[in-house]
Amino acid sequence: MAETEELLVVTYRGIFQEVEEALGIYSDSYREESAVLFLDGSDALGRKIEAGRPILLETSSGKVVVAAKISEEPHPGIAFMPRSPWSASLLPAEVGEGGLLQLKRFRARASPAGEAVTTIEEIGERIRVF
Amino acid sequence: MCDDIEAEFEGGKVKRTMNLCRKGRAHYDSLSIDRLTPAVGGSEVRGEEAVTAAGELLAGAECPLLLGFGRSTLEAQKLGIELAKKLGSVIDDPTSRQGLIMERILKGEVPTCTFDDVRNYADVSIYWGDDPSSSHPRHLSRFSYFPRGEKRQRGYEEDREAIVIDVRRSPTATIAADGFFQVSPGGDAAFAEALLAALGGKIPKVEDKKRMLNLATKLRKAKFGAIFTGPGLADAQDGDLGWFFSLVARLNEFTRFSVIPSLPDYNTRGLHQSLFDVAGAVSPVSFEDGIASGPKFGVTGLLESFDAVLVVGSDPVANLPAPLARKLARIPMVAVGTHRNLTTDAASVTVPTAMAGLEAGGSALRSDGVRVDLEAQVKSDRPTDLQIVEMLMEVV
Repeated sequence: MAETEELLVVTYRGIFQEVEEALGIYSDSYREESAVLFLDGSDALGRKIEAGRPILLETSSGKVVVAAKISEEPHPGIAFMPRSPWSASLLPAEVGEGGLLQLKRFRARASPAGEAVTTIEEIGERIRVF
Repeated sequence: MCDDIEAEFEGGKVKRTMNLCRKGRAHYDSLSIDRLTPAVGGSEVRGEEAVTAAGELLAGAECPLLLGFGRSTLEAQKLGIELAKKLGSVIDDPTSRQGLIMERILKGEVPTCTFDDVRNYADVSIYWGDDPSSSHPRHLSRFSYFPRGEKRQRGYEEDREAIVIDVRRSPTATIAADGFFQVSPGGDAAFAEALLAALGGKIPKVEDKKRMLNLATKLRKAKFGAIFTGPGLADAQDGDLGWFFSLVARLNEFTRFSVIPSLPDYNTRGLHQSLFDVAGAVSPVSFEDGIASGPKFGVTGLLESFDAVLVVGSDPVANLPAPLARKLARIPMVAVGTHRNLTTDAASVTVPTAMAGLEAGGSALRSDGVRVDLEAQVKSDRPTDLQIVEMLMEVV
């Protein structure tokens, strides 16, 4: 897959993330469970993304840095991300034909990042200030 | 919402528990973590002052919006609807994705059943875009797959079949093993079309035709089927679910198949039911000019026109798409809840409440519609969400 091609990101809820959410969204543990993207191995390779390293995700709605993880099963062109304030930062605000917001999937550019994973405090500040 | 939990507390903290899942235990442990404090304009105040400021903010608004209530007791939800009526406002729960399915169930247009029916009778459970092993960890063990039931004495080993239709191999899909059918994102309607063809004895237009035909045979021969729908299904076709309702109707020509949505918050079903009882529809519902409902009345359609927001037990700022969250955060906002979150951080006024089922009693509806009475297990000085809404009713 070409380095610049957008990935289709599909969100989901995981048990460990739900547990950490209940224990407080401002914790490092919640960020570690939420600010991640599971990539297909070939998609990561084509973008020079390494497992565990920070990656920049960008859409027209915003951008965040999350940690890269490589899936064991192949799913080229598709990436999976826990539904969280990090994924919400990238979601489009347009509604579909059925009148619902699309909260489940979006297209995003992914590239290696030279900065640390975005904190929830930074996400909150971006929402309140901009 | 599990009714068999035992817990001992010491000094306001959990000492010992029985029958709690990992998620439930975290909920109990959160009694002492990140609790919300009363504040106005970012400065901590007494609780009564925060409620007064909240009431004044709402009373002074021309077009207020009420958000959330999925984590409120039935009593608070019903009074919240009365508050929306009194304010002539809209009430919405935009992150609850299964309103359309719930509305059809409440109208009696889609068959449903209780979890107890599933435990006693279901031999086939379909989890569509749903991963209860993560979202409702005791779902499979108490009701839908592992337990013995009245007509299902041999449990999952011989008596039950789990089918998972999802875009990824979730923990529930891993349990279902050979019953996992992977669909492409947005490919649910095409999968249903192929299944409908197979149910009708036609050759389905899918790669593995034999497997789809076998699935159709299995479903046709089921004695009692249950379909659990998750956010993956509700979002699959941008809210257009005609294909799903057609499939459910077709399955019910062969045998009984009931639908139970897996809902996000402990009392989302209660909110849907309470709104339906009043408005004949689920959220969003507008009381601005009589009663009206539909997506255009909620956050997505009218956010620009609201001049005050009351959020109860929810975190829309963290869950809505960033462009909407930024707009929401610019509107004067009252946040009522148990814990600090991105919404309470953005609110002009915050009002803390007790945690229902732990610090306060009340009642709620499980996602299958069964009423559960909640009892306080530890003492708390914080008011209940019902008491807060009562006070707001007086102020406005």
